[in-house]
Amino acid sequence: MQRAIYNSTIPKLILKSMHRALGLARTLRCGGFALCCLIAVTSLSALSADWNAAEQQLAHKIAAVTGPGAATLVVQNRSSLGRRDTDIVQNGLQSALAQAGVRLVNSEQAAASIALSLSENESSYVWVAEIRQGTADAAVVMVSVPRPAPTARAPDSMPMTLRKTLLWTGHDRIFDVAILEGSESPARIAVLSAENISFYRMVAGKWQAQQTLAINHAQAWPVDLRGKLLWTKDHSLEAYLPGVICRGAAMGSITLNCRESDDPWPLAATVNPSTGNGNALLTGFFASRRNFFTGVISPSIGKFSTVPKFYSAAFVPRDKYTLWLFAGMDGNVHMIDGIRDQTSAIEWGSDIATVRTACGAGWQVLAPAASTQKDDSVRAYEFPDRDPVAVSATVDLPGTLSELWTESSGDTAIAIVKNRETGNYEAFRLAMACN
Amino acid sequence: MKRSGWQWPVISALLILMSVAKAATRPQYGGTLHVTMRANPSSLDPAEISEYIGGRNVIVLLFDTLVTTDASGRVQGALAESWQMSPPDQRMQVRLRQNIKFQDGSPLTAEIAAGSLRRGNPGWNVTVAGDVVSIESGVSAPELLQELALPRNAIAKRDSGSSIIGTGPFHVADWQAGKELTLTANEDYWGGRPFLDQIEIEMGRSFRDQMNALESGRANLVEVAPEQMHRIGTQRYELLYSSPLELVVLKFAGEAASAQQKSVRDALRFSVERHSMHTVLLQGAGQTSASLLPTWMSGYAFVFSSEADLARARQLRDQVPGVPTLTMGYDKNDPMARLLAERIALNAKDAGLWVQLNPNTTDFRLLRIPLTSSNPRIALETLNNQLGLPPIRSKSQSIEDLFSAEQTALASGRVIPLFHLPLAYASTVSLRDWVVMPDGSLDLAQAWLKSQQP
Repeated sequence: MQRAIYNSTIPKLILKSMHRALGLARTLRCGGFALCCLIAVTSLSALSADWNAAEQQLAHKIAAVTGPGAATLVVQNRSSLGRRDTDIVQNGLQSALAQAGVRLVNSEQAAASIALSLSENESSYVWVAEIRQGTADAAVVMVSVPRPAPTARAPDSMPMTLRKTLLWTGHDRIFDVAILEGSESPARIAVLSAENISFYRMVAGKWQAQQTLAINHAQAWPVDLRGKLLWTKDHSLEAYLPGVICRGAAMGSITLNCRESDDPWPLAATVNPSTGNGNALLTGFFASRRNFFTGVISPSIGKFSTVPKFYSAAFVPRDKYTLWLFAGMDGNVHMIDGIRDQTSAIEWGSDIATVRTACGAGWQVLAPAASTQKDDSVRAYEFPDRDPVAVSATVDLPGTLSELWTESSGDTAIAIVKNRETGNYEAFRLAMACN
Repeated sequence: MKRSGWQWPVISALLILMSVAKAATRPQYGGTLHVTMRANPSSLDPAEISEYIGGRNVIVLLFDTLVTTDASGRVQGALAESWQMSPPDQRMQVRLRQNIKFQDGSPLTAEIAAGSLRRGNPGWNVTVAGDVVSIESGVSAPELLQELALPRNAIAKRDSGSSIIGTGPFHVADWQAGKELTLTANEDYWGGRPFLDQIEIEMGRSFRDQMNALESGRANLVEVAPEQMHRIGTQRYELLYSSPLELVVLKFAGEAASAQQKSVRDALRFSVERHSMHTVLLQGAGQTSASLLPTWMSGYAFVFSSEADLARARQLRDQVPGVPTLTMGYDKNDPMARLLAERIALNAKDAGLWVQLNPNTTDFRLLRIPLTSSNPRIALETLNNQLGLPPIRSKSQSIEDLFSAEQTALASGRVIPLFHLPLAYASTVSLRDWVVMPDGSLDLAQAWLKSQQP
């Protein structure tokens, strides 16, 4: 007898997702139940229809070996198919065999035995029938059925709630999204990618492309490319990329002028932390062929005209000064108040941003939360003194955080995430709500 | 039914990571990565060193292919900007990316790319028109695009001397053939300057030496023997490994010269107790196998029984009078190969066959061969070529034809597959964002070293 060798199951298949959907639907006690069932059953029916062709094909191949007559059928599932789906395939094959003239009986009455293995490889389900007749060696016939692509998985008392809203998703890597019209319900956006800025307008609940403008650059981009969009009050759009700055007006017909430039990037929000108005507070020079700020800042923070090399910056306004936070390349957070550079080994990662809100102290710092999970998460903190205090629960992101920028308005932030399951890049707006 | 000891991922690799909470951190530039490997290549020519995994790991650092396959097996453009396959799957036109330079500053031209492809594929007709390279395989080759992604098809510029230059992310700073290779970041790499400043590769190191180097801090990244994976997985290192794709196989020197010789080979085949070797010697790593392709790749490997059948082995042996002593070879620098060979000789003895171990002169040999591609058809075709097995005749893509080709190869009696083992690597936790590709090779393109915190 053959020893069983199990295939590794391939996780998170669409079928399992559908089972979860069905399971969820069973728990609902409302009108949505019928809709969920309808969607799930329709999807399942569509897949069953695909299997039907493979079942017919395999049945004909089996019948070509056995000829019409009596046979036994034993099915073994070696794949990631669940029991329900295994049953569906088994029933389908039994019907197809019957149509092909193969009568399924007990082993005592059978002239042939069919051992069906539902297996799989990386791209397909592989159904293998080993057919034994008498003492002859087994004949082997098989069919393959393309496997569905994996689908996205469903994601998981603080004074504030940090909420994320999906703004944009696409296959190409993106670095920032600026909301040009409609603050609460974005109606027009600009999306920054490596080679262009694309403009979209919301039409009937979907983003409709308006215009795409190329970003001209002579040098190859760094591997860990970064980029930031700034939408100013005079309705001009600025894009900052390593060694390149683009400027354009985003009203009506848009033009974009890109030039090689080492000019500093605006850090944090463009609002004055004291008054809530005003323009850029601090700018920092970005290393044109790397992924970090050089540490040279303008204007100075007290006696500091340079700070350690850093990836991102945030700030916490105080009564008489502003505490600046720099996520340093050395893995530390540098807290600079104009007099001292205090190093803190806060486990915050590389991307931090400040948001101004009506909650708590009025200013919160958003930072990646330390986690043992594969996917990143973000949390809001306040600084009553020099140690951060978490003021929200973590917001789980569906993959790896690649950028976190304060929006031009200063009261929300944009998180760019590479979705671990779909591979898409997604832009989320992060906003605080007071509990 | 018993579930095998390891739950293998069908995706290319699995990370066993110490459970330390950490927040998202951007890559850092700088640092020297110290790597060790078993292979000791005497050349850096992709056409010569692509068959073994250590060679492939070096190739991807120095050279680029026209296209690559990502971790999901999807083809992505690399030196090729675009491509088009003409029916009936025999001719491909590839347009090169603009402004690519070799590490010596000279431009990549279609002529150089074509010359490089011709060298690795004498059967192809490769022509040039402007910046377009046309490749004709002569026969229907639906996997031509995937073949272009193989390391052996990396584009290299060969000077009249012995120097060979690529367009890859690193260039050679120092090369002591078979011993040590020092690579420096290519500042002008078209894909962006790599994060690492330098990579130092020590070659010809045994698994044991490599583990010592890792534990003593002399190496950041080492190869790990499959039977050591359990131990490494419990320590403070990162362990990444491929799906089982290194074939452990007994290969006979030639065709069976007679029916009696065929019976002896079959007797040996039925005598081998793969499962006990898998459990005891290999510590459950990988899978027992009687097929050339692993189950995760083909989906049908279980059809070939890997069970020992001592009664059948004895019966076959008894049909042959005066069976001579067989000599079995193995890699004398591979301790696991010796252990497996000794156990196979013992199994054979139980069946009445006498097998003498001799690393040099042999009737058959124990080999470890990494499959070249996660595409089953390309993998089988290359394997057949490497093992001297019949080529695949049918060019159709059907699973049944693939099965039939493998059945034919096994029926030749020239090989006895034993196991499929994963290719495993371990690193210190300071090394980040390194990847094991579906073919078991390392991808260090995005790798970086996290600096020590004060």
